[in-house]
Amino acid sequence: MRSRTRGKSRSPFRAADNGSGPGRRQVLAGGIGTGALLALPDLGLGSHPASKSTTPPSGASARYTFVYGTPDAGSVTTGSLAAASTPAASSPATSTPAARTRSHAATVAPAAITLSSRGSVPVAVNLAATPVSSPDQAITAVATVAMERDGAKVTLVLLDAASAKVAKQGSVLLKGVPSGAHVLVTPVFTPDSSTVSLVLAISTPVTKRVVSKVHGHTGKPLPRVTTSWVSHHALAYFDQRTGSMAGPFYLSDEPSLALSTAAANGSELLLWTTREPQPDDSASLRANASLSRLSIFPLGSGKARLSVAAPAPWPAGEPVVTLPSGDIARLVRGSHVQVCAVRTGDVSEHGISAFSRARARPSAVTMQARPDGTVFMTKPGSGVALVADPSEEFSAKAQVQFFPPATPLGAPWSKAVLSAEGDTLYVLGPAHGGGLHAYEVSSGKLTASYSEGSHYNGLHQMPGGTLLAVKPDNPRLAFFAPDLSPLGTADTNLFVSAIF
Amino acid sequence: MTGYDTAAPIQDTYQSAHAEFNAKPAYWIRYFNPSPAADLFENDAVGESRGAWDSGGNFVGCISAPHQSRLGGSAAEGHADAQAFCAALLAAYRAVRPLELPANGQLYCFLDQEYSTSLSLAYWNAWAGYIAEYNFAGLGSYPLYPCLYCDPYSPYPNCTTVAKSKGLDAPAAIWSSEPEPCGTVSKPPKWRADVCGTVPTRLWQFGEQDACNLSANVDLDLSAPNFSMAAHAFWVKSRP
Repeated sequence: MRSRTRGKSRSPFRAADNGSGPGRRQVLAGGIGTGALLALPDLGLGSHPASKSTTPPSGASARYTFVYGTPDAGSVTTGSLAAASTPAASSPATSTPAARTRSHAATVAPAAITLSSRGSVPVAVNLAATPVSSPDQAITAVATVAMERDGAKVTLVLLDAASAKVAKQGSVLLKGVPSGAHVLVTPVFTPDSSTVSLVLAISTPVTKRVVSKVHGHTGKPLPRVTTSWVSHHALAYFDQRTGSMAGPFYLSDEPSLALSTAAANGSELLLWTTREPQPDDSASLRANASLSRLSIFPLGSGKARLSVAAPAPWPAGEPVVTLPSGDIARLVRGSHVQVCAVRTGDVSEHGISAFSRARARPSAVTMQARPDGTVFMTKPGSGVALVADPSEEFSAKAQVQFFPPATPLGAPWSKAVLSAEGDTLYVLGPAHGGGLHAYEVSSGKLTASYSEGSHYNGLHQMPGGTLLAVKPDNPRLAFFAPDLSPLGTADTNLFVSAIF
Repeated sequence: MTGYDTAAPIQDTYQSAHAEFNAKPAYWIRYFNPSPAADLFENDAVGESRGAWDSGGNFVGCISAPHQSRLGGSAAEGHADAQAFCAALLAAYRAVRPLELPANGQLYCFLDQEYSTSLSLAYWNAWAGYIAEYNFAGLGSYPLYPCLYCDPYSPYPNCTTVAKSKGLDAPAAIWSSEPEPCGTVSKPPKWRADVCGTVPTRLWQFGEQDACNLSANVDLDLSAPNFSMAAHAFWVKSRP
């Protein structure tokens, strides 16, 4: 089912400082963290003759795509990437018969384009958390944390996708946070991207003691200095128009779990947190341990307008979107949507019938808001994607079944993407064949496929329409036209975790 | 010793597994928070424990499957995920009176690293350190042991990462997802799990539902020779 070949990556390229983005000296570096971010230009689909509907949205073709991941061990700390700005139309890929079929996969040799290193730029290293993109994908938020003498300095950097350059940035100092603390930063965009809220989880060591613990392998007792921790949250708000940061506003939610879920509408921030269970909790606290707490803050404020108990499960990185009404939807347990009415904090739950089939293994799940008010949801482990209407209890407006890919849970979680027009679903190919498949959304029929034997692990559609698929070994990045014609490949020294 | 792992509630699963294999598992392994795409054991710990008891496999092992992009991330992310996992274990333990810790004082806590996921040392050390140092229920016995579920021969960093961890931060065990020869609970294959170089592989997922065309919502697991997975899992001492 899976490739078992242990491949060796090629030596990473150093990206050229060609003036198309930030150069090496401008690479952002956080004090804590391991992730790295690269900017990758779209491939100029307009020049590709095999493409249909290749006219990119106005302005979209100029956008960069950001690739986030972990650098290879032993490589330079910054990720690097080789990519072309425009593959030549006469390249081997385009002279090869297109891999389009109506109902079966073609076996076409992979494109042999050699891509230059021009156009790719390392952007950031040592990130404190996975970056977050704005709803319109025009901005990507990157957070770094640096421990300083008087506390933890959290810096929010907003990257402009059109230039891969820093558009705005702001910092906030968390005074008194000791050097051994952990600070988890979650940026949250408003729908119009005008405000970026920062949810800051601060975990501080409080007591240390030496204990004896049996080693799991040897069975021998080992002395161990153990640390107990306590976590609480703070908020800060960055106003893009003024470039000002408000906060920090410390929440009195200690002891809390650091993990939270947050979303914003145009005027308020909704925050799900969980009280950390304590050994001496009363019976009533224990009985309500499955509940989390939903607090609603006016943007710019550290005082909740409303704070109510919220139903299970605890917040844990589940997909969340802001609906046109301003209400917030969480996709929980991989099968249900909880809608929070922002006015009252009431939560209603809707089962997604396409996701209801239980399986032995969890699957990645995604949920994205679409401009027409619908949401696009995927559950690749069940081989299903759908467009649902939140105004009709998330009933399916369109649904496509596909063969589950080989890695339905592993990173990146994006295994299926919907074209901007909403008419084509692109998915990773099945476990037995790999490659890519395309389906007509209206009919659910397979319309194109491509496979030369590679199993891809993640799929992203760049703003100009180019598809970007990632795989384990270099060349890790493969580019395809919307008709699945291969455009080329590129090396990177990043193990890719997510694409923005 | 063979058992099942599943992302579905035990009480909804064991009967179909019985019907398919006509055998009782020695143990179950279930998902706990943070596992954003799974039904979670602690959300109905009583029902799940009853299901485990009724199945005849009254031991419940523990795994957490965080959003996979986080595993390549920072210490803050690893710390937060481990904290939530420990809290979920405690919530379940408190909710079910006859749910007990292993008699040997070693509850194995697995982190789910999928084939295409990278594991950073910063994340692992923070995750494993928190697990190893968690004063569970204030008992002062520190019974949680960090362990790793992974595909050891994946090209993504997994074994190479945990090989750099030291002492009690090193995984107590690897649970290998490969190879997948399939089999049944009563007739598992001979032990030949893929291995990491520095940490013993003590559990093997020898059959996945999809790859082995199982109708029951279970994957099949085998403990290593001379190792008891049940002895490193929660024990449902009586029917709740």
